[in-house]
Amino acid sequence: MSRVIGIDLGTTNSCVAVIENGQPTVIPNAGGYKTTPSMFGISQDGKRLVGHLAKRQAITNARNTVFASKRLIGRRFDDPEVQKSIDLCPFEIVRGPNDDPRIKIGGKSFTCPEIAGIVLREMKRVAEEYLSETVQEAVITVPAYFNDAQRQCTKDAGKIAGLEVLRIINEPTAAALAYGMNRVGDEKIAVYDLGGGTFDISILEMSDGVIEVLATSGNTFLGGEDLDRRIVQHLVEWFQESSGLDLRGDTMALQRLKDAAEKAKCDLSLRDTVEINLPFIASDAEGPRHLNYELTRDNLESLVGDIVEGTLKSVEQCCVDAGVQVSEIDQVVLVGGQTRMPLVQKRVTEFFGKRPHKGVNPDEVVALGAAVQAAMLLDADSDMLLLDVTPLSLGIGTFGGHFARLIERNTTVPVSKGHVFTTTRDDQSAVKIRVLQGESDIAAENDLLGEFVLSGIRPAPKGEPEIEVSFDIDANGIVSVSARDLSTGKEQSITVSSTGKLSEAEIDQIIQEHDLYEVQLKG
Amino acid sequence: MNAAAKEQERAAQVVALAAGHDPKRLRLSAAEGYLLSRIDGRTPWRLLREIGGIPPSEVDACLERWLAEGVVEIVAGAAKSGAASPKPPRIAMDAASAPKAATPKPIVIDPQLLDPALDIDCDVQRRILEFELSLSRPYHELLGVPVGADPKTVKRAYFKLSKEFHPDRYFRKQIGPYTQRLERIFKKVLEAHEILSDPELCQVQNQTEGPMPEAVDVVAAAAATNAASPEPPRTPSSVPGGGRSGVDPQSQGPASTTPTPTPEIRPESKPLSKLDRLRQRMPFKIDHAAMAARRARALEIFRAAEASLEAGRFNEAEAGIRIAITFDPSRAEFKEALGALRIRAAGDRAMKLLATPSDRMSENELRDALQLIEDVLPYRPHDPELNVRAALVCLQLGRYDEAVEYVETLLEGAPDVASHHALRGRIERARGDLKAAKKAFSEALELDPDDLEARRALASMRIAAHDAAQGGRR
Repeated sequence: MSRVIGIDLGTTNSCVAVIENGQPTVIPNAGGYKTTPSMFGISQDGKRLVGHLAKRQAITNARNTVFASKRLIGRRFDDPEVQKSIDLCPFEIVRGPNDDPRIKIGGKSFTCPEIAGIVLREMKRVAEEYLSETVQEAVITVPAYFNDAQRQCTKDAGKIAGLEVLRIINEPTAAALAYGMNRVGDEKIAVYDLGGGTFDISILEMSDGVIEVLATSGNTFLGGEDLDRRIVQHLVEWFQESSGLDLRGDTMALQRLKDAAEKAKCDLSLRDTVEINLPFIASDAEGPRHLNYELTRDNLESLVGDIVEGTLKSVEQCCVDAGVQVSEIDQVVLVGGQTRMPLVQKRVTEFFGKRPHKGVNPDEVVALGAAVQAAMLLDADSDMLLLDVTPLSLGIGTFGGHFARLIERNTTVPVSKGHVFTTTRDDQSAVKIRVLQGESDIAAENDLLGEFVLSGIRPAPKGEPEIEVSFDIDANGIVSVSARDLSTGKEQSITVSSTGKLSEAEIDQIIQEHDLYEVQLKG
Repeated sequence: MNAAAKEQERAAQVVALAAGHDPKRLRLSAAEGYLLSRIDGRTPWRLLREIGGIPPSEVDACLERWLAEGVVEIVAGAAKSGAASPKPPRIAMDAASAPKAATPKPIVIDPQLLDPALDIDCDVQRRILEFELSLSRPYHELLGVPVGADPKTVKRAYFKLSKEFHPDRYFRKQIGPYTQRLERIFKKVLEAHEILSDPELCQVQNQTEGPMPEAVDVVAAAAATNAASPEPPRTPSSVPGGGRSGVDPQSQGPASTTPTPTPEIRPESKPLSKLDRLRQRMPFKIDHAAMAARRARALEIFRAAEASLEAGRFNEAEAGIRIAITFDPSRAEFKEALGALRIRAAGDRAMKLLATPSDRMSENELRDALQLIEDVLPYRPHDPELNVRAALVCLQLGRYDEAVEYVETLLEGAPDVASHHALRGRIERARGDLKAAKKAFSEALELDPDDLEARRALASMRIAAHDAAQGGRR
């Protein structure tokens, strides 16, 4: 049997791991790096480039290099996040036939699952080279806040890459698995995940190899990039004050500032001061101007202090959701490159009253956890078990546009929940069951997963018929909903199938196209 | 277990008079007799100490003695159901196993259910089957923890069972029907853990949820209370833990906080008994006399309505029954009567309609007739006579699209009746779609070569077509 890999498909970088001799191990790529940029580009002469090669051409050929496509996957074109990306990204984002965002580079438009599939294919290749055998199955991680459509698209991406996706699991959960492997005894752990674009916090409980997710929360719009943006803003203001020149309209200068800010931020994790030196950043009548600024760690911390405080608010909320006192948490695991920042570590230590766990690498732990989950599923003698949860609440739309939750978010799966509903009109002969996913109390603000009609209800005054609606989520996260008229026994049901934007045929077509391309490359 | 935990467990225990034991034969002091009279299978030990009329230590001593003598027994799980009647036979079994952790009753497994071809040991299969058959046990027995166990113990037990029964344990294995069994078991274990680890859910029936000015609310609350009991409220004998046990205690919260008037939570069966149970628990909320008066009045009105029904005065009867329901919404028979009445009334009107041939009606009469038919049809949507009549009336009124719809309903129910096809032909012809008409008539003829209407229509259409062609040529 071929081996199963775990892939952390990140916004900026991806990482792949496998279990070797009972230990999860990160697989380095051909360049010796343990992570690979989640980038895809088409070079001037029409070659397709992935990973480091794509990153290398990002500055010279920005229009044809895709990055951070994870922000777009599974969203609608009109989504504010997509619109934001359109403003910020140098590559072209167009509206696809299903109202999905598509990325147009090198004269061809790609769907987001396709781009993610290309990155996954690269990760698969990295693993295959290392293991010297073909890999067909994988566990892939996604952020905890990903909704059904986003998860489905990630699955599609796996299919495009020629992988069978055994499971999609949440990044913080994966981190906890990697941490919890080979540990005995009872522990409550918090996973604090501050990545490039998002912040996730999960609280889990483990005992003798069983890991249960108690609660998850986070902030989609908060991450390392917000810190960079603050630094850039500060630099721009300072430059205007000292030289009278406004850099805001100069995209080239802004891009240089952003790169420099990111680098300075990383350096300040190790040093107390760093010099930002950008010669020829602008010019005016007096000739070229240079930017030369000394940024101190204290300076940076005062710039971004409120962002870090914001994450702690989410942590507090998560503790409440989990029904756990902060003092009860035995271990804090830090995930994501941004947690290397001393301020983050300091505030987290103060908040929990204990130092975060040092034994894991924040960049690799998620992929390791995915590999652990893969092994757990396939190894019959495995002594570990993950009790995973649904990320978002499920329910139905009711009279007046309200949303009745049947399964609350963070409920352990598999699970069944039923509830009795009734009619709102006299002699109503049919009811429409609209299956929704989301956290809003207003039906229209949640995602519609599917709908069906239960007809043939016995004529009766309103409020009298009894219609039992049951929700069922199996261990693979597949949702089925049924409605039954309790007096007649009549039943209707649906399985909420892929809400992914791609049909089977489209996926097959993409796979064929890529296979063709691979052959071309080699030949 | 330490003394404090033991004490806590004791305090939460509920005692009941043992089945088959006659308390009259006991020699009791007056104080003891009073204490015995307080034992009703619902009051927990802790409360008995307070209301027993003798010092708590003596209450303990008395109860211990009676337990030892077998006069009373501990009713496991009664603290949660709140509604356990004093002497069902099941309780005897519970009592035997309650003081210790659960010891499941031996269950006989049909060896034919074991399949050695599956990727799962026969021993494990046996264990799964046994566990599945005993899913209807009270939650604490299911998890194998003592009544009133602390959350940590509950969680450990839940984790242990999860490890054994979570479907992921057999991911990708050929385990045939055991997939569903495992899911059923795990869901039930999950439910048990949720309820037992949440003190509020354990006590949900002891709480009054907001003001309850009307009977309807009381009924809804009764349903809520009942749903929290460990047994499925509707069909306790059905497959245990089938995941279809009606109103779920978990989902109770969100729906009851939703400000919408509908959907409502409704009682599922025998609302009266639920009401009674609720009344016992919350006598302060309900004015008994007023409730009784309302119910009596409702019954009176209902009897009168039944009389009007006998006399064939349907409208009057319907109005009466509706009023009766308003007075006493918990009586299922009123509602059944209303449903039956409507169907019957619809049938009667339909019969009257069918008695008058439609081609003798004026246009206004036709319209009224159609209205009547449309009123009646929802009750008997596939009645062929009604549909034929509806199609004919529509045809006469010139509403061809509707007529075709009725014929299509007819043909759905009985696709091989020649006259229905012929009727369709007639409608299509009247509407001017000769091709469709010809097709329909031909189908009619095929089904019944003796269908005169179709034969004639086809012939006359052929002649007409011929004439038209001739005319065209000229």
